[in-house]
Order: sequence, then structure tokens, then C-alpha cells
Amino acid sequence: MTVNAEGGRPTPIIELRHVEKHYGDLHVLRDVCLEVDKGEVLVVVGPSGSGKSTMCRTINRLETIDSGEILIEGEPLPQEGKELTRMRAELGMVFQSFNLFSHMTILDNVTLGPREVLGMGREEAEAQAMELLARVGVAEQARKVPAQLSGGQQQRAAIARSLAMRPKAMMFDEPTSALDPEMINEVLDVMVELARGGMTMVVVTHEMNFARRVADRVVFMADGQIVEQAPPDRFFDHPESQRAQDFLNSIKGH
Amino acid sequence: MKTPPASGSMRDALYEAPGPRTRRRVAIGTAISAVVVAALLALVVRQFAVTGQLAPRYWSFFLEWTTWRFLLQGLVGTVEVALVAGAISLVLGLLLMLGRTSGVRPLAAVCRVVTDFFRGVPSLLLIYFFFLVVPQYGIKMPSFWMLTLPVALAASGVLAEVFRAGVNAVPKGQVEAALSIGLSRAQTMRRIVLPQAIRYVVPSLIAQLVVVVKDTTVAYVVSYPDLMQNARVLITSHDSLVSIYLVIAVVYVLINFAINQLAAVVSRRTGAKIIR
Repeated sequence: MTVNAEGGRPTPIIELRHVEKHYGDLHVLRDVCLEVDKGEVLVVVGPSGSGKSTMCRTINRLETIDSGEILIEGEPLPQEGKELTRMRAELGMVFQSFNLFSHMTILDNVTLGPREVLGMGREEAEAQAMELLARVGVAEQARKVPAQLSGGQQQRAAIARSLAMRPKAMMFDEPTSALDPEMINEVLDVMVELARGGMTMVVVTHEMNFARRVADRVVFMADGQIVEQAPPDRFFDHPESQRAQDFLNSIKGH
Repeated sequence: MKTPPASGSMRDALYEAPGPRTRRRVAIGTAISAVVVAALLALVVRQFAVTGQLAPRYWSFFLEWTTWRFLLQGLVGTVEVALVAGAISLVLGLLLMLGRTSGVRPLAAVCRVVTDFFRGVPSLLLIYFFFLVVPQYGIKMPSFWMLTLPVALAASGVLAEVFRAGVNAVPKGQVEAALSIGLSRAQTMRRIVLPQAIRYVVPSLIAQLVVVVKDTTVAYVVSYPDLMQNARVLITSHDSLVSIYLVIAVVYVLINFAINQLAAVVSRRTGAKIIR
């Protein structure tokens, strides 16, 4: 872990400085500043359309930004080319709609990155993949194609695909929003395990129980702004801003 | 096209199940159209008989092996041109699409113009170009290529568009997932987008082969011995136009029917593999 000369504080793994983004007239990210430390689990909550997903996707440049800075381990996020693909390989991403490669088996989904990007041999990549698939509980599905799996199984396989790249940090963009209720927990359980294992995580979610249990810090966004950040107990029990109070009231009873 | 339903479910998807009145109307319609078709057929046969087209001298030579051997030689010629032109147009179409979607502006512009040109120009005009213009610049090529190249070029423009439609049909999330594990643009195209896109468009690609087969029939312009050209030779030697054209029309219909059947089988297979 590198240490900042001035502060003596470790350099954050992910840092956003004054990030701005527009979609035409829509101002989707307003002066977003955020630091994620190594091993930290950050949960991003907020009403739909608040810019949570967009912010998450800017971190590996699936969305570009208009101005501001994004730093990964203190280095500016590359704009293109080999440097960008290398950086993306080091940051895992789990999508709402799983996005498993639909023409490949689950095993091939998990081995593709290590083989194509890391230059790993077939045997090593497959051994690692089977180990990861066993860890997320879908090892028996390794030879099937994604369409043959349930949503929960697909999302767990997608997590294994990300882990196969041995990422420094992982982003989860509403990982359970497309799942049937009975499958949500099997995915959250995998994520809890990851968090306990010390993975640095940025999780955009509507699962407040997960946030309370697992988050080191909750970030509340509204209208493209980070309105409030606090440890989960403080955020859920004593939200400071009116917007956060309104938001928490609106989802009470869930 | 993605998942071709069985014939019954297609009808069910488009229309509601018919009620008793509709069923009666359908039955009446079926009966009337059957009568009309039968009447038309009878009329054709009668006209043939009246004008003497059914006379033995117009049909007897079909009993000779030499006639069929000559037509078969033509059929082989047609199949050769169609297959080679089809193969060239597949490669060329793919390259044009890749160029057009490459993101490199000048290349994309050139590929776009070339695609639209070949898509828009009649293949007969391209054949005249290869037959009349190219030789003037001292380039001598056999009639096979004077036919195959223009047919291939015309088809490549269409295929480039077919491929592009396939690429556009691949969900964006597939690309994002590929990029997020560190694949480059080129790797994403090769490993993720193209394999899926081609599965989507295989039926259309095969159907395009029908067009290629039909395009080859202008072979007479360059005196290439395909089925049509050989038929024309037979017509002259037997002085029998209608019977021969009728027979080879049936042959063309059968070829293209076979190709379409192939497309249906292939699309059922590939469709079943990637349901979402």
C-alpha cells in the first residue's frame, strides 16, 4: 500500500474529484467527490435517476465524464488504449443484467478474461475458474450456457467472472435489481463473503439490510450529487439531510 | 428470426385464435381460391394444347440423357459461380462492415460509400463493366471471373448491411461486460460481438445466397456456360422455347427452395442455442 507524502494517509484505491457529467441538458453528476480506501465496502443508495449507476460506471470509463478527475491508486484513469484496458482488468464490474456472454459456457465466460487478457494457460485458467465457481456455488453449471441458469446463478457466475481477473476493487451496479425475490439472498451472501474477505467494493443497491450489515460507509446520492456520507448506523438511524430522511421514509417497511 | 417459432405458434403470435365465424369464412375462402387456381391451371394447359406447345416434338428430347447431361453441366456451372461468389461476398461484406464500424472516420466513410454503391448498382451493370471496360485496360480474365466478381461485389454490399444489422442486434451489455474484464475493442469484436452477430444473421446470409443464384443467370452476357446459358443453347438446337424455360424455371425454384430449407434448419439450430 502506498502512502501519501503529506498526510501519512494511504492513497485511496478509487478517488473522484469534482466529477461533472451531462446527458444533453440533464446534469447527471454534479461536483462528485469520493474516496474509496483499500478494503472498504462502500454502499451507494438514493432514489432512481440520482446518478448512482452513472457514477459507478464512470470509474472504469464505461461512461465518460465532462470534467473533474478520476484516480485509481493515485494515477489518473487512462482515456484509451492498452493503459485503459489494463486498468479495467484490475477493476471488477458486476452488472444489473448479469451480461454473461450468451454464446459461451459458464466456464468459458470465467476463463476468457484470464486467457485473453492475462495470458493464462487453459489448464490454469480452468482450474481457477472451477475453484471460483465452486466458491459462488455454481460449479455444477460450468458446462451450461447462461440461458440455462436461473438469474441468481447467472449473477453469481458473473461475480466469478470478475473475480477471475483478481481485481483490486469491484463495482456492483444494482446487482440484485433484476432478480426474483427468492434469488436475491444467494447473490447477497456471495457479496457478504467477498466483503469479509477484504475486497474493496463499491455497491450501488436498493438492499438496505445489506447496506446496514456490510457497508463501512453509506453514500447517499440525489440529483447527481452526493448529499450525505456516513457509517450505516448513523445514516439509517440519524440521517442529517432532509433528502435522506425523505428517501428513508419513502422506503420504510421494505 | 432470433428464435423462429414452429409454424403454429407464429400464427398464434400474430393473430388471435379464430372463432367459429372466422373459421367458416376461412373455409369458404379456401374453397373459392382452390377453384380459381384449378381454373387457371386448366386454362394454361388448354392454351398450351391449342397453341401446340404440348406437341411431342417440344418435349421428347427430355427423354434423352444428352439433354439432361448438358443441363446438368450448366447446373454445375451455376453452382460453382454461386458458391465462389457467395464465399467472396461473405469475406468482403464482413470486411466492409468492420471498416464501416471501425471508428476510423476516413475508413468508415470509404466503406460506407463502397457498400452503398454495390448495394445500389444493378449487378448486370457491374457485369458489363467487367466484360466491356476492364478488358480495355489490358486485364484479361476468364468468363468465370467476369461473372463471379460482379455478382460477388453486388452481394457484398448487401451482406455488409446484413452483418451490421447483426452487430447492432448484440445487446450493449455484452460489449460492456467484455470491456470491463479488460478486453480491447478488437478482442471484444472478435470474441464476443461477431460470434453472436453471425448467429443472428445466418438465416439472412443463406437467404442472400438465393439472390446470388438468381444473379448468376445473366451469365449469357459473358457466354459462361451456366444453367441459363445452356438452356438457351438447347432452345436454339431444339427450337423449343416454352418447354425448356418451364423446366429450368422449375430447377431454379427447386435450388432456391433447398437453400431456404437449409436456412430454416440452421436458424432453428442456432436459435435454440442462444435464447434469452
